[in-house]
Amino acid sequence: MAREVAQSRTSRLCTACVDVLAVSGAGITLMGGDQAGPICVSDSGIAALEDLQFTMGEGPCRDAFSTGRSVHAPRFDDVTLARWPSFVDLARTSGIGAVFAYPLKSPGSNIGVLTLYQHDAGGLTDAQHDDSVAIAEVLTETVLSLQDAAPPGALAGALDEAVAYRAQIHQASGMVAIQLEIPVADALVRIRGHAFATGVPIGKVAGDIVARRLRLGDDRSGPSDRDITHGN
Amino acid sequence: MATDADLRAQTRQALTATTFLQIVDTLVGDFDVIDVLTGLTSRCIELLGAAAAGILLVDATGHLRVIGASTEQIELLELFQIQNDDGPCLDCFRSGRVVIDDNMGMTSRWPGFAVESIRVGYPSVCAVPLRLKDLTIGCLNLFMSEPVALSEGDVALAQALADVATIAIIQDQATRDAVVREGQLQHALTSRIAIEQAKGMIAERAGVDMDAAFLRLRTYARHHNLGLTDVAESLVAGRLQVGALSNVRRIPPPPQPGR
Repeated sequence: MAREVAQSRTSRLCTACVDVLAVSGAGITLMGGDQAGPICVSDSGIAALEDLQFTMGEGPCRDAFSTGRSVHAPRFDDVTLARWPSFVDLARTSGIGAVFAYPLKSPGSNIGVLTLYQHDAGGLTDAQHDDSVAIAEVLTETVLSLQDAAPPGALAGALDEAVAYRAQIHQASGMVAIQLEIPVADALVRIRGHAFATGVPIGKVAGDIVARRLRLGDDRSGPSDRDITHGN
Repeated sequence: MATDADLRAQTRQALTATTFLQIVDTLVGDFDVIDVLTGLTSRCIELLGAAAAGILLVDATGHLRVIGASTEQIELLELFQIQNDDGPCLDCFRSGRVVIDDNMGMTSRWPGFAVESIRVGYPSVCAVPLRLKDLTIGCLNLFMSEPVALSEGDVALAQALADVATIAIIQDQATRDAVVREGQLQHALTSRIAIEQAKGMIAERAGVDMDAAFLRLRTYARHHNLGLTDVAESLVAGRLQVGALSNVRRIPPPPQPGR
């Protein structure tokens, strides 16, 4: 998955953020309602961290989006661990020591988030913070401009990565919705729950559902629907 | 002891300050541009030596429109200028500068307009641009019932009021544009997601792969003359049953001409 993203037309946006802000990694995520998708990440480790925030519905990216304010975690302590247990866990094992998230703000609502990752703990300098705010503004305008050029109703090609990256998750949601006769939004919750309960990345779970190697059970009680069949 | 003149000056100062505050207030929060501009014309009459006032604003196609006028006569006078493409307000809008004629007569630059204006009782006119830097978005027009000019102070105050109103209008338009663009992005994003979800629903119900599912979605949309995203969103929202797409494979291709 990271490979596809790294080759996307918007990938230079992330590279530019990393270069200009002198951080270890960056991810730019677009949000549409409850759905999210990265339009670019600077490396596959970052892709996994962005993915996890989507799976778990927790993390600095989510917080920045919902509050419309920048989120600063210069080090992972008990407070951040309590706030985002899964995220902090994966961040630590991925060698990340600090994370900062800036909402892509537009007058009506926020359209996404720029998340910055640092290997070492420590806060951003004032200059880095000011630059990040400015870059978030430029990114918002960039994304809106890209969309301006798209045919009415269609998503701009350069932004399609945000959906294509998670295409299998959306497809799997549709399949599970039919299997369990539940709304698509609920199906996504079931897939997330399964990924959480089994510790398998959500992209892998979705891939298994689409390949019909996995079928979530009709048991509403949760983790017991782990009827993985290793067919094919 | 305060003289009558002092009191008048104090009242005017307070009214000026209140007017600015009211316009600035509109910059933070929801407001209606028409309300702001109509209010501005009334304040110009109260504050300045003007008998009437009108406001023209350029629309998205570059044409001037009458947005506010203190009387019906003024609205007609403004329309007269737009229709004849001639008059102090148009000169002001095009040049971005204040245009003054305090005693319009037969030698006026705008003979047609001068006749009309004098006929309804306004021999003196002053047009102030609604301008921010190089961008002129309209003009504020002041009409006097005597052939005398507004004082320099009054013109400066009119320009200051026009400047603040201009910022309010531009801010409002920028916000509206951003909200529209953002809405378009969100809609495009959720539509695109709905297509993937619908593919999954069709694939599961019909027991086919994603490519075949997409083909069914597209065939159904074409056959029913609907957009792909409309069909996908209807499926996801449960307004359309997946079963409706199960037989689309048998729909023949559209007839070819000449066959």
